[in-house]
Amino acid sequence: MSIEIAVDVGGTFTDFVVRAGGIAAYKSSTTPLDIADGIFNGLALIARRRGTTTAELLAATSSFACGTTVATNAILEHKAARTGLLITEGFRDTLLIREGGKADTYNIYMDYPEPYIPRSLTIGVRERINAEGGIETPLDEAGARRAIAELKSLGVEAVAVSLLWSIANPAHELRLAELLTEEWPEIPFSLGHQVNPALREYRRTSAVAIDASLKPVVQRRLAEIETRLRANGFQGVLTFVTSNGGRTSAEEVLAKPVYLCLSGPSAAPHAGSVIARTEGIAHGNVITIDMGGTSFDVSITTGWDTPTHREGVIGGHMFGVPAVDVRTIGAGGGSIARVDAGGFAHVGPASAGAYPGPACYGRGGTLPTVTDANLALGLIEPAGFADGQITLSRAAAETAITTHVATPLGIALSEAASLMTLSVEQNMVAAIEDITIRRGVDPREYVLVSGGSAAGLHAAGIARELGIGQVIVSPLAGVLSAYGIATGDIRFNFARSLFTSSVAFDFARVTAVLAELAAEGSAYLDRMRIPAERRLLAFSVEARYAGQVWQLSLPLPRPSVANAEDLAGVVAAFHALHERVYAIRADDPVEFIEWDLIATGKLPINDAAADTQAGPDASAALIGQRRVYLKQAGGAVDIPVYDGEALRAGNVVAGPALVQERLTVTLVPPDATAQRSVNGGLIVTLERDAF
Amino acid sequence: MAPDTAPDTAAQALPEVDMFTMVVLRRRFEAVIREMVNALFRSGRSGVLNTAMDFSCSLTDSRLQAISTALGLPMHVGAIEFIPRAVMEKYPDDLKPGDCFVNNSGYHGNTHCGDFTLCAPVFHEGELVFFSIARAHLGDMGFPTPTTYAPLARDVYEEGLMLPCVRIQRDWKDVTEVLDICKANIRAPEQFFGDYLATLAAVRTGERRVQEICDKYGARTVTLFLEQYQHYAERMATDAIRRLPKGRVVKEARYDSETPLFPDGIPVRATMDVDPVAGRITIDLRDNIDNLPMGINMTEATVTACCRMAVLNVLGPDVPRSTGAYRRIDILMRDGSAIGRPIHPAATSAATTNLAQVLTPHIQSMFAELSAGMGTAYSTIGVQGSCPCVSGTDSRHAQRPYANQILMGYWGGPGVHGHDGWLTYGGGGAQGVLWQSSVEIVEQQQPMIVERLEIGVDSGGAGQWEGAPGAHCVFRVRDDAVRFTANTAGRDFPPPGAAGGMQGGASMVWKIDRDGQRTLLPITLDVTLAPGERLESQACGGGGYGPPLHREPEAVAHRVREGWGSPAQAERIYGVLLTADHRVDHAATAARRSHAPADRIQR
Repeated sequence: MSIEIAVDVGGTFTDFVVRAGGIAAYKSSTTPLDIADGIFNGLALIARRRGTTTAELLAATSSFACGTTVATNAILEHKAARTGLLITEGFRDTLLIREGGKADTYNIYMDYPEPYIPRSLTIGVRERINAEGGIETPLDEAGARRAIAELKSLGVEAVAVSLLWSIANPAHELRLAELLTEEWPEIPFSLGHQVNPALREYRRTSAVAIDASLKPVVQRRLAEIETRLRANGFQGVLTFVTSNGGRTSAEEVLAKPVYLCLSGPSAAPHAGSVIARTEGIAHGNVITIDMGGTSFDVSITTGWDTPTHREGVIGGHMFGVPAVDVRTIGAGGGSIARVDAGGFAHVGPASAGAYPGPACYGRGGTLPTVTDANLALGLIEPAGFADGQITLSRAAAETAITTHVATPLGIALSEAASLMTLSVEQNMVAAIEDITIRRGVDPREYVLVSGGSAAGLHAAGIARELGIGQVIVSPLAGVLSAYGIATGDIRFNFARSLFTSSVAFDFARVTAVLAELAAEGSAYLDRMRIPAERRLLAFSVEARYAGQVWQLSLPLPRPSVANAEDLAGVVAAFHALHERVYAIRADDPVEFIEWDLIATGKLPINDAAADTQAGPDASAALIGQRRVYLKQAGGAVDIPVYDGEALRAGNVVAGPALVQERLTVTLVPPDATAQRSVNGGLIVTLERDAF
Repeated sequence: MAPDTAPDTAAQALPEVDMFTMVVLRRRFEAVIREMVNALFRSGRSGVLNTAMDFSCSLTDSRLQAISTALGLPMHVGAIEFIPRAVMEKYPDDLKPGDCFVNNSGYHGNTHCGDFTLCAPVFHEGELVFFSIARAHLGDMGFPTPTTYAPLARDVYEEGLMLPCVRIQRDWKDVTEVLDICKANIRAPEQFFGDYLATLAAVRTGERRVQEICDKYGARTVTLFLEQYQHYAERMATDAIRRLPKGRVVKEARYDSETPLFPDGIPVRATMDVDPVAGRITIDLRDNIDNLPMGINMTEATVTACCRMAVLNVLGPDVPRSTGAYRRIDILMRDGSAIGRPIHPAATSAATTNLAQVLTPHIQSMFAELSAGMGTAYSTIGVQGSCPCVSGTDSRHAQRPYANQILMGYWGGPGVHGHDGWLTYGGGGAQGVLWQSSVEIVEQQQPMIVERLEIGVDSGGAGQWEGAPGAHCVFRVRDDAVRFTANTAGRDFPPPGAAGGMQGGASMVWKIDRDGQRTLLPITLDVTLAPGERLESQACGGGGYGPPLHREPEAVAHRVREGWGSPAQAERIYGVLLTADHRVDHAATAARRSHAPADRIQR
C-alpha cells in the first residue's frame, strides 16, 4: 500500500494528514528548536495509532509533503544569515526607505523599522545601467573586488546583489556573480534579476536580500529533515510547499529559498477549493478562513482560481515572489478584549497566545479572550478542549469578562460575552471585506469554507454579515493547511525579464525567452516525475499601457507570440483584462515587462469516500442539551448538541444547535440548518431573509 | 465657527442605538470609505494618485459631522466638513439627488487649489442624509508655471484655475461646460479627465454604499448611530485632555522669508490654553501677521486641519478623528491673516505645505513646554528639492510631454519622546501616508538619471530621540532639458528641536553644471537644466527631542556604525566617545558627559 503524508509545521501544533486508502488527521506539538524532532514525534504518534513503527510507516510512504515555517520564522525572529548587500553606488538606503506609506497614520509614537540588511553590511558598487538597458557607467571591477573583500572581513555568510535596472540589462549583476565566484567560491549569493525580475528597486532588492539570507538556514534545515527521513527508510518523493501554494522538490527551494515564505498557510486556499469542489460547489467561488489561537487568515478563490500577488510581506519586509493572496489579522481564540475610555469594546489584535493564554486556561492569564467569551456563553465545554489536552475554568473566564468588560460597560456578563464575540467577528468580516473590495468581488456570490478549531463558532455569524448563504465545515477543518498540502499540485514559477512594446514587438527575443521558459518548465516536471497528461504550462506576461506604472498579469492566450496575429490576440486580451480590472480601456500601446511560466503537475484527487444517504433524521447523533446564551435567540436557551462523528449523510440539524467533533465545534444559529453531506462535510445553510 | 450645533454633553433624550449595532455600523462605514479609496486608486491616471496616493475620501452627515477614518492624509481630512458647508451655503434650496459639486477654492473651504475636491449630497427616501466627498491632488491645475504650489504668486490671479464650489454633475450627468473649462485650462487634459472620473467614482461609490446602509438599518438608526459615535469621540477626547496638566503656552517660530517685509524670517505664533477641568484646548492664532503677497498664505481649512491634527496627535491614536473630538478644540483665527482666513485675492496655493508644515509641529512642540515627555519636535518644512515638479518633453518617446511631481525623499520626521523620527514622514500634512517614488519609475517616466538617494549624514536633529534625516538626492538630466520647480524651506530656519533637542540640518539645493561648478539655488526654485547638468538637494532633517546628552550611548554608537552620524558629532554633541571599531567607550563617555551640561551644547 502506498501512503502519502502531508505535514504542516505551525507555531504551536504540527498537523498531519495521512492518506492510505482513507484519510486521517493528527496533531502533535511543535518543537521550535528542532523542527525535525517535532515531525518525528508526530510520525511516532501516527505509527503508534496505526499499530506500526516509524520505519515501517516511512518505508511504505511514497510521498512526504512539508509545509514549514523555517523561512517565515527566520525572517520574523532575525535568525537568517548575516548577509551582505552589493548595490548600485548612491543607493545604500534602498532597504531603509522601502516605498513609504504608513499603516497607522494617526500613531506618531512608533519606531521606524530597521532595514532587512543593515547599512553597515551594504556596500555601493560603482556602475550604472539606464532605463533602456544602456550602460551609463561601466562596472568598476577593482572596486567590486574590494567590496567583496570588505564583506569577507565583515564576516557575512551570504551575499545579495541588487543593481538598478538589472532587469533591463543583467550584465553587471552577472559579472558580479563571476567575481564573487572567483574571489569567494564558497559564499552563497543571489542576484536580483534572477530572484524577482520586477520593476521597482525596493521590491527586487528586498526579495533578493531575503533569498540570500535564507540560503544557509534553509539548506541546513531541509538537509536535516531529508537526512532523517532517508535514514528511517523513506524512499519516496519529498516536497515542500511554497508561497504560491504548490509543492516542489528541495532542489528548487534550495536554489530560491525565498519561495518558502508563508509555506504552510499558503496551502489553505487550495484546501478550501478542494473541499468546496468535493462538496459539489459548481461556481468555484470560495472564501477560505482559518482561525487559530492568535491569527485569522482569509483568502479568496474565484472560479477555482486563487489569485497570487507579488506584494507579500513578512515582518514588514516585502518578499516579492508570487504568493497566494492570504490576508492575516490578529484575531483568534486568544484575542484580548478591552473597553476604552469612551465606552467602546475592542477585541484584539493583542493576544494572550498559548501562554498565559485565555483566563480559562488557568495558566495565570487574567484578561478576557474570545475563548473565555465562548466558554461563558456555554458554546464550548470545559472538558475536552483541544482534543482533551486542557480543562477549562468557566469561573475564571467569567471573572475576567466581568472585571474587564461587563462592569466597565454596566452590562450583564452574558451580554458582555456576546459583545466580545460580535466584535471579533466584525474584525474578521473587515478582513474579508478588505480582500473582496480590493479584488472587486461581491462576497454574496461565494461559499465560506471554515477552517481552524475555533472558526466553527463564528463562521455562520461572519457569513450572515457578508450575505453569504452557505458555510462548509470539513471533517479536516482542524488541519486545513495540512489538507491543502496533501492535495496540493506540484508547481513552480519561472520568469525572465524582457522589455518590449506592441508598437515595436521583438518577436525573435520573445520567442527565444518563451522557448527557454518552456524547456525549463518541462525539465522541472520531468524531474518531478509528472506524466504528460497531468502537465500544465501556463504562460503569462506582466503588461501595462505605455506610461502606466503598475502592471497587470496577463495570461497568454497561446504559448507563443511568433507573428502579428498572435500579438493582436495578446493585445486584445490585455484591453479586455484592463477593462475588467479598471473599468476603462485605452488606445495606448501595450508594454511587456516580464515573461512568466507556471509549470504545474496536477494531482488527481478522489478523497470523497461517499457515504450513503441516511435521510434527514439526526436524532441518533443527539448527545444532549446545553444551556447557552445566544443573543439572536433572545438570550439563554437550551439547545441540542450533536455528535458530529455520529451524523450520517443526509442528516439535518435545525438551528439553534451545536455540532461537536473531536477537533472542532460548529454553531448552527437559529436561522440556519446544517446537513451532513455524502462527502463528509457539514453544510450550514443560512436562510436568505436572515440577512 | 463649528458647523454643528450639537451640545457638548452626551446627555440627550434620544433613543439609544445598542452597542451591538454600534460595532456593526462602525465597521460598515469604515468599509464604505475603504471602498471609495479603492475605486479612486484603481482608476486614477496620474502619478500623484496611483503612485503617491495623494488623495482622501470622506463622509459627513447632513449636519456636517465628519465620520472617522484611519485612511487619508491628515491635511486632507482634518477639516473636510467645510466642503459640504460651502455646498449648503451656496445652494441652500437647490440640492437634488444626482448633484455633484467641485471645489478647489481656499475661499470656499478647500485646502489649496491643487486639491480637486468633489462632493455629492446623498439622499435617502427624499431626505438629505449624507455628503460623499473625495479630494485628489492633481498633477496640474493650470498655473502659469507647471506646478500646483506657487509660493511667489502675488495673488490668486497668478495661481491656477479656480472652481469655487460649482456644480459639475446634475442628475448623475456631467455639466459639460464646467469640464470644458477645466480641460481648456489644465495641462494634460486627458490625464485630468481620467483623474476626474476616478475621483467621481469614489464619490458615487460612497453615495451608493451609504444608501444601502440606510436601506438596511433605516436612516433614523443610522443617524442616531452617528450622533452616538460623535459623543463617543468627544468622550475619548475629553478623557485624554483631562489627563493633561493645566497651562498656557505662548510660542513663536520662524519660517524662511522671501519677502523684504520680513527680513528676519516670517513669524508663526500661537497661544495654547489647556483646561483639563473643562476638557478643552484652545489654540489662539490671532496674533499672526497679515496676508502676504505670496502663495504661502494658509486657508481656513488648512489652519483648522493643522490645529486639530496636532492636538489629536498628542492625545493619541485611540481618539477618533471625527467631529465629536474636534468639538473639544477651539481654534481662534483672524480674517486677513497669513495663518488664518485669507482675504481675497490673497494667494494660497502653497497653503498645505510651507507655513502649514511649521504650524502643525509648532503646536505639537508647545505640549513639550507644557509637560516633560509630551509633544514632538518639528518635522520637515516645504517641498524639498528631492520632491520637485518636473516637466519637459522626452525624446525617448517621440517628444512625449510630461508634467509630474516626484517624491524622492519626502522625509524628516520629528523626534518624539521614546522614538526617533519616522523617516518617510513628509511633514504634518502627510504623516507618512504618501508613497515614495521608485528610482526606476522616475527614470522610466522622465529623461533623467537619479545618481543618488541616501540619507544625509548628521542631517537628523540631535536629541535624546533624533529627528529623521533629510534626503541627499542628485538628479542628472539626460538628452532633453528638464524644468524643475520646488517650494523648499527650512534653510535659514531648519526644523527646530523640542524639550532640549536640536534643530535638523538645513535644506540646500544646488545646480551643478557640466564642469562641476555648484550654484546655490533659492528656496523657491524654478530652473531648467540642460543635458548633463545636475540638481543636488540636501533636504532638511527633523528636529530632535530631548537633550542629546540623555541619548543612550549605545543608540549613538549604533547610528555611527550604520553611517547615520559621524564619530565627531557623537563626541561633540552627544558626549559619547567611541573606540576604533565604533563601540562605546563607557568610562570616557561618562567622564565627558559629567563635564558637559546639556544646555551648553551648541550645534
